[in-house]
Amino acid sequence: MSTENQLVVENASVSFSGFRAVSDLCLKVRAGELRCLIGPNGAGKTTALDLICGKTRLSGGEIVFKGKPIHRLSEHAIARAGIGRKFQVPSVFRALSVRDNLHIGHSKQPGVLANLATFGQGGDTEDIERLAELVGLEDELDTPAAHLSHGQTQWLEIALILAQDPSLILMDEPTAGMTAQETKKTAQLFNRLGGRHTLIVVEHDMGFVRDIAQTISVMHQGKLLAEGSITDIEGNQAVRDAYLGSGGIGHA
Amino acid sequence: MSSQGNNRVLARTKTEIALYAAVCLAILLVPMFLQDAFLLNKYARYLVFGMLAVSLSLSWGYGGILNLGQAMTFGIGSYCMAMMLKLKTVPVHTGADGLPDFMVWNNVTELPWFWTPFYSPLFGVLAGILLPAGVAALLGWFVFKGRVTGVYAAIITLAAMVVVQLVIIDQQAYTGGFNGITDLGQFDIAGITFDAYGSSSYYLVAICLTITLFLALAITRSKAGLIVQAIRDEEDRVRFFGYDVALYKIFIFSISAAIAGLAGMLYTIVMEFASPTFLGVPLSLSVVIWVAVGGRQSLLGAMLGALIVTGVQGALSESETFLDTWTLIMGLLFVLVVLFLPQGIAGAFASLARRFERQRPAPVPKPVQHTEPMPNGRQIESTR
Repeated sequence: MSTENQLVVENASVSFSGFRAVSDLCLKVRAGELRCLIGPNGAGKTTALDLICGKTRLSGGEIVFKGKPIHRLSEHAIARAGIGRKFQVPSVFRALSVRDNLHIGHSKQPGVLANLATFGQGGDTEDIERLAELVGLEDELDTPAAHLSHGQTQWLEIALILAQDPSLILMDEPTAGMTAQETKKTAQLFNRLGGRHTLIVVEHDMGFVRDIAQTISVMHQGKLLAEGSITDIEGNQAVRDAYLGSGGIGHA
Repeated sequence: MSSQGNNRVLARTKTEIALYAAVCLAILLVPMFLQDAFLLNKYARYLVFGMLAVSLSLSWGYGGILNLGQAMTFGIGSYCMAMMLKLKTVPVHTGADGLPDFMVWNNVTELPWFWTPFYSPLFGVLAGILLPAGVAALLGWFVFKGRVTGVYAAIITLAAMVVVQLVIIDQQAYTGGFNGITDLGQFDIAGITFDAYGSSSYYLVAICLTITLFLALAITRSKAGLIVQAIRDEEDRVRFFGYDVALYKIFIFSISAAIAGLAGMLYTIVMEFASPTFLGVPLSLSVVIWVAVGGRQSLLGAMLGALIVTGVQGALSESETFLDTWTLIMGLLFVLVVLFLPQGIAGAFASLARRFERQRPAPVPKPVQHTEPMPNGRQIESTR
């Protein structure tokens, strides 16, 4: 086990009422890497992210983050250890303004009493405005999140994760519902995040994967099927077989 | 642009504080124009209900925790005050080593251990706030650590209240049972005696209400208050930012209970007795109606909702024309509000104010460079 691996998933398994959604999954991700996780529907990609962030509990194996096992910690403890999660269905606080959303994303200080004594944006104003600008929501700061378009909502959630500033970011289909132009901009953003953050991105849009991925892990039926660069993966016969019937890897 | 937005938020906060201050001032000025002791007592009672509504608005409107047993903590506060005031009468009624009258009737020979500390007025007052908060924290610990949410949490709060009420009724020798604790002494502090039918009690309630309103407003405007609202909207999202969701829920639930306890204490002072009906289902559900009518996501709205509903209820039930039909009219009012004003009276005013704001000339919009809103994106209505 190399020390530069930030995240090590060892023989992770979980089953839902008999169905093994993930079985003996092994995954090693280096710090600062941008990893894409692909696979046909039902391959267990989202479940893999759920296991890492604690939403679903392992029935076997272990998950080690920065040298410490995390699979027994509570969800908020895993988040405090430095893991951020973006959900497949964008999850933001619809009743609150974009500004308040970002304010909550800033979670360096999670205690009740400390936050009871925090009014306004405190020292976060600049950071909040910088993040809003980064995702193109600087004119919507006072808009309730419920009024944003689907693409804007996706970006708001990405901005929330950036406000949290975790060292490992788990993204579940971040470009779903985005226009081609929005997807392109997201790719640029992710490429800029690489290095400072470690990213694991579950994605179906192969164009997007080509734009961002350094290493691709392919999952099939709860197992790791293949791992390598985009050209390795596209030439891999097992991957082609797994994708047969779902239109081929290029059009997935 | 964004610093302008920041200023707008600040201006909105200032307007809000001014509005709260104006309402509180109006409440404080009432005794200057009103000398009728009976009316003052009645209005003080309504203000206590207003405070109870504020407490429910915190946990339900902001925290999303529908507490159907809000009267439980109200009643506990009420009994703490009654125990303290009852012991003040003991030396007068039955001699220095005597017992409260109802204990004598029940053949109790010694003052129970949990009554003794209530000889201290300070203990009585602190217990009336801290005991309800502690009970709520304990209940909340089980409910929220166990991730019980929604209607299930509501049922548990209701059940807990009924249990406490049954225990109080059952332990007649120590609690006065069905009769409650009656024939109390008068509360006094720093040489002022609070006569239930004098302006002093009205002022006591009004000042406590003012302090409570502003304290609650400060909590909702703090970052902790923001996180509580975020939990109401998307509990999981908050959890995965690293916040301990259960702790935040226990916190808002206990603060709400502490305010309800304070309201209960004031109610005993104004009513001059404590009764198991103060922990009853009818009162507890009435609070939900007041808050729904006033607007649960506005502290001021919830308070005014309580004043309006109890006021109208009082006026109708006392007038001869509506003697038989006033409950029907109240029911109709509630149905109309739920149907047409889902966010209550305060919500209706807020959307009117927003419409007015939008009609003012808007700043020239910047050309949109990055985002093309989805065709149907703008049509999503706020659920707020």
